[in-house]
Amino acid sequence: MITWLRTNAWRHALVISVCLFSLFPLYLVVISSFNSTGSLRLDSFIPREISFANYKMLFNDPAIPYLTWMKNSLVVAGATAILSVTIGSASAFAFSRLAFKGRKTGIQMLLLVQMFPAILAISAVYVIMERVYTFAPSIGLGTQAGLLLIYLGGAMGVNIWLLKGFVDSIPKELDEAAKIDGASAVQTYWLIFMPLAAPVLAVVSLLSFIGTFNEFILARLFLVDMESRTVAVGLQQFIGGQYSENWGPFAAGSIIASVPIVIIFLSLQKYIVNGLTAGSVKG
Amino acid sequence: MTSFFRGKISFAFKLVALLLIASVLITLTQSAVAQGEYFIAAFLGITVFLLALTYLTKVSIPLKFFLPGILLLVAFVLSPIIFTVTMSGYNYKTGNIISKDEAILQIQNRAFEPDANGTSFDIKIGRYQAQEALLVSDSVNNAFFISTVRDRIPLNPADLTINEYGVAESAPDFAVLSDSEMANADKLYSGKRFTYQDEYFIALEGFEVGIVSRQVLSFDAEKDQFNNIITGEVYTDNGKGNYAIADNPDQYLEPGWRAPVWFENYTKLFTEERLRGPLISVFIWTVTFASLSVLTTFALGLLLALALNKPIRGRRVYRSILILPYAMPSIMSILIWGGMFNTEFGAINNLLGTDIAWFQNALFAKFAIILVNLWLGFPYFYLVSSGALQAIPSELLEAAAIDGANPRQIFRRITLPLLLQILSPLLIASFAFNFNNFNLIYLLTGGGPRAELDGELAGATDILISFTYKIAFGSSVQDLGLASAISLVIFLLVAGISLYGLRKSKVLESFQ
Repeated sequence: MITWLRTNAWRHALVISVCLFSLFPLYLVVISSFNSTGSLRLDSFIPREISFANYKMLFNDPAIPYLTWMKNSLVVAGATAILSVTIGSASAFAFSRLAFKGRKTGIQMLLLVQMFPAILAISAVYVIMERVYTFAPSIGLGTQAGLLLIYLGGAMGVNIWLLKGFVDSIPKELDEAAKIDGASAVQTYWLIFMPLAAPVLAVVSLLSFIGTFNEFILARLFLVDMESRTVAVGLQQFIGGQYSENWGPFAAGSIIASVPIVIIFLSLQKYIVNGLTAGSVKG
Repeated sequence: MTSFFRGKISFAFKLVALLLIASVLITLTQSAVAQGEYFIAAFLGITVFLLALTYLTKVSIPLKFFLPGILLLVAFVLSPIIFTVTMSGYNYKTGNIISKDEAILQIQNRAFEPDANGTSFDIKIGRYQAQEALLVSDSVNNAFFISTVRDRIPLNPADLTINEYGVAESAPDFAVLSDSEMANADKLYSGKRFTYQDEYFIALEGFEVGIVSRQVLSFDAEKDQFNNIITGEVYTDNGKGNYAIADNPDQYLEPGWRAPVWFENYTKLFTEERLRGPLISVFIWTVTFASLSVLTTFALGLLLALALNKPIRGRRVYRSILILPYAMPSIMSILIWGGMFNTEFGAINNLLGTDIAWFQNALFAKFAIILVNLWLGFPYFYLVSSGALQAIPSELLEAAAIDGANPRQIFRRITLPLLLQILSPLLIASFAFNFNNFNLIYLLTGGGPRAELDGELAGATDILISFTYKIAFGSSVQDLGLASAISLVIFLLVAGISLYGLRKSKVLESFQ
């Protein structure tokens, strides 16, 4: 028992205190979501009341189109995830497997372009989409389709980079065998590579989905209509601006929005962590 | 299945899909041309051409894989970057947004003044012979006339319907606007000059009053200058996007235009005291913030990894709890922390029994930012450090133990140097990420506290990127040219750091 204390007690003590640190804000949000006073105050560690008023407000108040926001986020993030991985994997395959002039320059350019901080190009993107709006209002400024296009462009660099890492790890012998059997590059891609890479593609799509779901600034700048907002932008107004510091519905809304993502993340943590280490930091 | 990719059916499918996409793009190109957006139209046109060339011929097989990605990158990443680079050479800010021709036109249209007596008339707006026209009632002289941009048609009061205030309500051949037409009238009528007499014309003041005015400034296209007809002052092109009086540069005409100023936006960063001071302090804080963030997150993450590098009881549960902050959408977490630091209603003061105004004091605000970023970032370093610890060969540690090294020595001399070597690219990447961690700063403190009344440009917790965002999209003056210049400087810094990190990680060598 004494040796156990000496060797393991400090480990438990340290880890438990950090666990408390990491749980505290989350616990606070959970109890605030069941608290009808709308503040993030911690009056007692055990909630005094359990009220569903905040949750009801989200779903019943016609001024708060929460379900629409959720749907918008899911549609935009889902479409970005699927399309960017579909388009990105083709490029990654070419970078990894096809020999062509300028391959090295291409991938270095890709890296360099990726380093330009996206936020700083916002003004240019804004001006471009403003102009697109003048002749094609359905994909210009203020539309989800326009936002999707921008996300796709922005996701290309990271996704190609990440996917290339995965493609490199698939044994070359497989597609060389296909080549000997007379398969073209396009056939190798669809018939050999795609089935093999499917699990990896799923993980990268997931990362892309989480990244897009988390995006705030572009969505805030582009989606002006109440009805077209994403959930992050929509919820943010509870605590800044017209609703001024109304934490109850914010807490409830962010719990509903976060739970699925947290569950997916925890259940696939092994794969996601591998992907993150291969690429860079969570953005 | 294989035959599908070779056969005629597949070709037909491909053709139909291509035709559909091409027809959409061509329609868009046409409307872009119609709107005068030639750059976008050219891009769309080239896109259609490249699509056809790539997928209908066998010019280049790699291009079949690349094209969609390249097109998206060019449209939404590369061209904004080029646009930003270009804008950094222009005086492009609030008041200098439009082109020179548009600016000249607007100056001319706005530069008029009422006549000496301030004469004004009651008017009705409508149409005369299918033109925008005014039905003017000069009640002082009891005269009535219709005025269009070209003519003035005198009327006989006997033909008119005149109300109790002596204002003509209708006249023959004059069609008063319907309510629905009134809704769009502003665009058609305001800014127009309706004929009066000599150099005087009638300008609208709302929809019911016309003011007799005359032009003040006249444009001399040959000399490229504006002359004040009345005072004789001369406004010349000052080379920075405004017409100004040569001897008195502060007196210039609005609006200006976006004029090329080459490197002025860059030199401004170093020469203008008002800008240089905040930039230096923001830069120092940016580096401090990024370094401290990496240091704290890495230290805590590593500590946890070491603590859990042994199969102790409950390790899996611990692990799941520890990565929770990383799994939460970061936007939500940052906003929640923002609420927790609220002075009156926040849980932090509540818990500590204090009433600190966290975001009103520079030091407290900085502390809060580092703490929140620690919460957000330590799970990442815990995860990667755990992985790296397992990658260190156990023989090395055993050999050291046999040689008589104590655990502390083993850690300091063997484990840590090896870990740092494995993780250094990730540490550098994390530094680069935090260098531009816009969301955290923007959503948590908004860059504050900032003494706005004292004219401070940057807040105490502003990092370079949030400061730039303020310059570009701030509330009063939006200076896109200057913001673009700073953007480029940041890009060079971050690219330098990241390339250094990549070279260390030897990623680039795999392409040699």
